[in-house]
Amino acid sequence: MSRLLTARWWLKRGWMYGAMLVFTAFALFPVYWVAITSLKPRSEIYTKTPDLWPSDPQWSRYPDVLGEGHVGRALLNSLIVAGATTVICLVVGALAAYALTRFDIPLRKTLMMLVLITQMFPLVVLVIPLFVLMREADMLGTYWGLVAAYLAFTVPLAIWVMRGFLMTIPEELEHAARIDGATRLGAMWRVILPLAAPGLATTAVLCFLEGWKEFMLALTFMNEETRKTVPVVLQSFVGRGDTDWGSIMATSVLYTLPVAAVFLVLRKHLMRGTTAGAVKG
Amino acid sequence: MTTPASTAVAVGRAQRAPRSGGLQRVQRTVARLTLPVLLLLPALVIIVGLVGYPLGKTIWLSFTETRLGDLADGSGEWVGLDNFKEALTDAQLRTSLINTVVFGTLCVAGTMVLGFAVALLLNQKLKGRGFFALAMLLPWAVPALAASAIWKWLFDDRYGFVNWALVNIGFDRFQDFAWFADRETAYVAIFVTVVWQSFPFVALSLLAGLQTLPKDTLDAASVDGATAWQRFRLVTLPLLRPIVAVLVVFSTIWDFKIFDQVYAMAQGVPDRAADTAAVAAYREAFALGHYGLGSAVAVILFLVLLVFSLVYVRLIGREGRT
Repeated sequence: MSRLLTARWWLKRGWMYGAMLVFTAFALFPVYWVAITSLKPRSEIYTKTPDLWPSDPQWSRYPDVLGEGHVGRALLNSLIVAGATTVICLVVGALAAYALTRFDIPLRKTLMMLVLITQMFPLVVLVIPLFVLMREADMLGTYWGLVAAYLAFTVPLAIWVMRGFLMTIPEELEHAARIDGATRLGAMWRVILPLAAPGLATTAVLCFLEGWKEFMLALTFMNEETRKTVPVVLQSFVGRGDTDWGSIMATSVLYTLPVAAVFLVLRKHLMRGTTAGAVKG
Repeated sequence: MTTPASTAVAVGRAQRAPRSGGLQRVQRTVARLTLPVLLLLPALVIIVGLVGYPLGKTIWLSFTETRLGDLADGSGEWVGLDNFKEALTDAQLRTSLINTVVFGTLCVAGTMVLGFAVALLLNQKLKGRGFFALAMLLPWAVPALAASAIWKWLFDDRYGFVNWALVNIGFDRFQDFAWFADRETAYVAIFVTVVWQSFPFVALSLLAGLQTLPKDTLDAASVDGATAWQRFRLVTLPLLRPIVAVLVVFSTIWDFKIFDQVYAMAQGVPDRAADTAAVAAYREAFALGHYGLGSAVAVILFLVLLVFSLVYVRLIGREGRT
């Protein structure tokens, strides 16, 4: 009897836990590898039989990269640039996405395509013309210059992604609010925004990570040591004689932690508990 | 009896009547469009102001014979379509374009399948959902440099975890197997790396989409006796269509433009046979100094992406209907 129950549980729910564990292992194992490599002494990083745990954890590597490696300052720079990009991008993108979803604008499809075209060129060939543009505007080496460049690439992304979410929200809800006396913007603010929260949170994470991870433009625009962002500092560990993998991995851990914190903060919005029964098992 | 004056008045009226109607229509159109245009304006200023010039410049340069060194004082000589002819006839460059389409498409498919599986699982009421979600998101946050390094390491011929694991479960031919020595196996390793980094965003977006779905519709389908698969195919998927369209379009754009991972992991493949278009454009423009030709490769990549996006948007977007 109980064995039958177990079999039924496994058929109904258990395989989901099984699949989840497999996916989690796939996602986490390399991250785990980054973390333990950051603690391994040099001699253990290059070894024939990799150990799953460092014999002599090198905790001192963390204060080292934060101080000497300028990673502390770089983390602050990255936070400023990625944070500003995210906030501006969300506001500008949400307004545009709303306009492109709910209004019958002439040439709407063409506009959407034009917005998308900005994403279709590989960044490597755009770097030099963008550099020239920034030099003319006298914005090289400034936070605003880099934020502006990131906005040029994240706003189109935000418009498209948010429009995708807005389109899944029935327009009738908004009509109802407006019949009840709300203005167009009022309805957008009070009815659509809360419903679109998961989409907004997703877009926020996306914009933040674009700014947080971008390397090529940051390398070209920010020459001063005190203005460098983390990916640029990370790359600098590769060039010094031989590659300093311990420092690279320690920096990568420090670099991933703030993002994990963002995920934790936004978790409620990313995964609302209101879906009970959406897909009953 | 009609005087010239009254005729003039009558004609004037006749002319003025439709004109003032037209004016009203214009006014109405202006009033109707004011709000959306105001909402759109900041985004358009940012996009056109910053990307317009670099895009135009790249397209212009693709029609010229410009060396990297010429860029400082403008552009080189106009050569018409020569760069495009060379990009399409040169064996290495042509291979890089084909690689891009084939490998990019596979990456998109892999990312979408894994992303959907994870999103559907995370949408269930499972214990520890929060932990699983956080774990799935972490690969997205790992910098590309570290991700490429780690996966290159895991796929290392002699010290790599992948070979060790494959040999231990009985595939002896993977003893010291060199993944990065030829194109197909290098692509397997790069595929895993790309999917590993890009499935979290797809899973997260689909999950957010699943959570905005109207509960009643799904419940109704459930009450009507639809199986889980029927509910997914007939209710969930059509409702998620706008988001799926966006995700496929963007995944295609990102995976066709793929640079970091290929640059880091495919260097060992002989004859640049595993280069993708973005890497080839970079090599031509910077390493070999043919900036005009590099730009042409970028423009061809752009045209390919444009065609793919238009087709996708038409096929799964069903724009006009929503």
